[in-house]
Amino acid sequence: MEAALVLLTQTIHAAVPILLAAVGEILTERSGVVNIGLEGLMLIGAFVGVLVGDVAGSGLIGVAAAWAVGLLLGLLHGAIAVYIRGDQLVAGVAMNLFGAGLVAYGIQAVWHVAGYRQTPSWALVDINAMTVLAFAVAGAMWYILSRTRLGVAIRASGEDPEAAYSVGIDVFKIRLFSTAVGASLASLGGAYLSLAYLSVVTKDISAGRGFIALADVVFANWNPLLAIAGALVFGFFDALSYWLQIFGVARYEVTRMLPYIATLLVVAGVIGRAKPPRALGKPFRKE
Amino acid sequence: MRGFLDSLLSLAVAIAVGAVVAYISGYNPLLVYYSMFVVPFTDVVYVTSALATATPIILTGLTFALGLKAGLFNIGAEGQTYMGALGAVIASYLAASALALPLSFVIGISLAVAWAMVPALLKAYRGVNEVVSTIMMNWIAYWLVIMEASTTFSNPMQPSETIKMPPSARLTPLVPGTSLTAGFFVAVAAALLVYWLLERSVIGYELTAAGLNPVAARIAGIPQSRVVIYSFLLGGVTSGVAGVLQVAAMPPSYSLATNLANVYGLGLDGITAAMLGRGNPLGTLLAALFLGLMEEGARHMQALAMTPFEFVKVLQGIMILVIAVRMLELWRRR
Repeated sequence: MEAALVLLTQTIHAAVPILLAAVGEILTERSGVVNIGLEGLMLIGAFVGVLVGDVAGSGLIGVAAAWAVGLLLGLLHGAIAVYIRGDQLVAGVAMNLFGAGLVAYGIQAVWHVAGYRQTPSWALVDINAMTVLAFAVAGAMWYILSRTRLGVAIRASGEDPEAAYSVGIDVFKIRLFSTAVGASLASLGGAYLSLAYLSVVTKDISAGRGFIALADVVFANWNPLLAIAGALVFGFFDALSYWLQIFGVARYEVTRMLPYIATLLVVAGVIGRAKPPRALGKPFRKE
Repeated sequence: MRGFLDSLLSLAVAIAVGAVVAYISGYNPLLVYYSMFVVPFTDVVYVTSALATATPIILTGLTFALGLKAGLFNIGAEGQTYMGALGAVIASYLAASALALPLSFVIGISLAVAWAMVPALLKAYRGVNEVVSTIMMNWIAYWLVIMEASTTFSNPMQPSETIKMPPSARLTPLVPGTSLTAGFFVAVAAALLVYWLLERSVIGYELTAAGLNPVAARIAGIPQSRVVIYSFLLGGVTSGVAGVLQVAAMPPSYSLATNLANVYGLGLDGITAAMLGRGNPLGTLLAALFLGLMEEGARHMQALAMTPFEFVKVLQGIMILVIAVRMLELWRRR
């Protein structure tokens, strides 16, 4: 019974970073922009969170800094995608490469250790508070996208930008800010990893979660509420892998494969039902 | 030519931004770049070491280039390289003679291709996005190969690595005292072969047609499923060879590190090479040689400028970001 309760708590905690990144990406993609750089954004968020939290002596400031850096990098991706009409997939891959390089470099340059830094106790934040925040963000995002005028403008930009533009929606601005806010949530998920969930920053702390979040977006059919369900499914296998390890059921390496195998099976099962925004990944230009 | 200029421009931007990053973190940018770009040319051992470093990057770069040609984002070279290396280790376990070398290629390439076929089939028949599926396969390979390397195939004398290639099956340095083996020429030949395949063969024509315009290709009788499978199959072969060479042509250890140190990150380097090379196999070859030079230089930078090796990865990330901006001409045609 107690073990089951631990598994449940672990599932919810493991779901948080995936949920944050997925909800952010849903916002970005609903506006018509693809950002596959979530993994890099998460890594950078985890690193910046510990760095600033350590120096400022406050985890909350660390979280805020990680979020802000994600927002800035999102503005960069948004500018490339929206105004320069660069390739969004290439820019996303670049973000992943840059994040992996910067964090591995930064950990060494700042703390002079190779690829591993324990988060100091004064930089930790309350895991339950961040968990509640993540679920609240998902709920709020659903409300904004489906129940407000702003949500209509965002969805119109992703479905039919020409029509949206013709009725006075500034497609460029909507896409830019949706991309920035979406990216900031991925970085927030990274800060959660290093400041609350794992209490450490490593050069591969995100461990594929940015890509699992991409899978969750498809699983959720671009609906933030369904993304909660998806994140819990992935979180369950993540938690299960540690749980099985504690009880010595299977080798460590085998249990670590579980979340990835589960992700593959889930995406293979749901595709076909999923329907992406129609103008997804297509740059918009004024006639 | 235009693409080449774009790549040079992206290098210039990366060097400028990198200088700021290095300066902020307390390193001397001049010494960083001197040790990275000048020192490697000062000794023939360094030059050959750069070529050896470039070898697997050429091959994993071809994997990504083959995908790009067909309009696919195949990020799976990383895991396929692990599987290729595992194949070489299995061959060393099975055969104690020179036979282990051909056997390495057979088993290594088979495992890598099998690994590539999962995302290919999921894409062809279930429409699963290849970015997600290849990354998942990479992580599954990561844990699988770590497990096998540290259990069944571990070296009882040296717990940090697997059993070694039998001495008679090794590809040893062509010039004693350097690390340049025949593996380098295998990689160059692979690049030429892929170039020929894409430019002159029917398969290459179909891949390119589907990459430029999938709808038109389908109407012309080229099914998307065939394109995906061929592209991933060929990509699996080159990455598999990369993995085999990282064991069979890797002096002095001729084994796989249990933490995968001699294969880790090669797939990502390949993506960088293919993007810098604009998805062209010969461009990828050139770019991989350049990346090999940068990484050899980064080792000297570590020693001379006390800068972490990963600085080179920061530079590469910035380069690709600039490429994304400049690649619009090439990609708007999709």
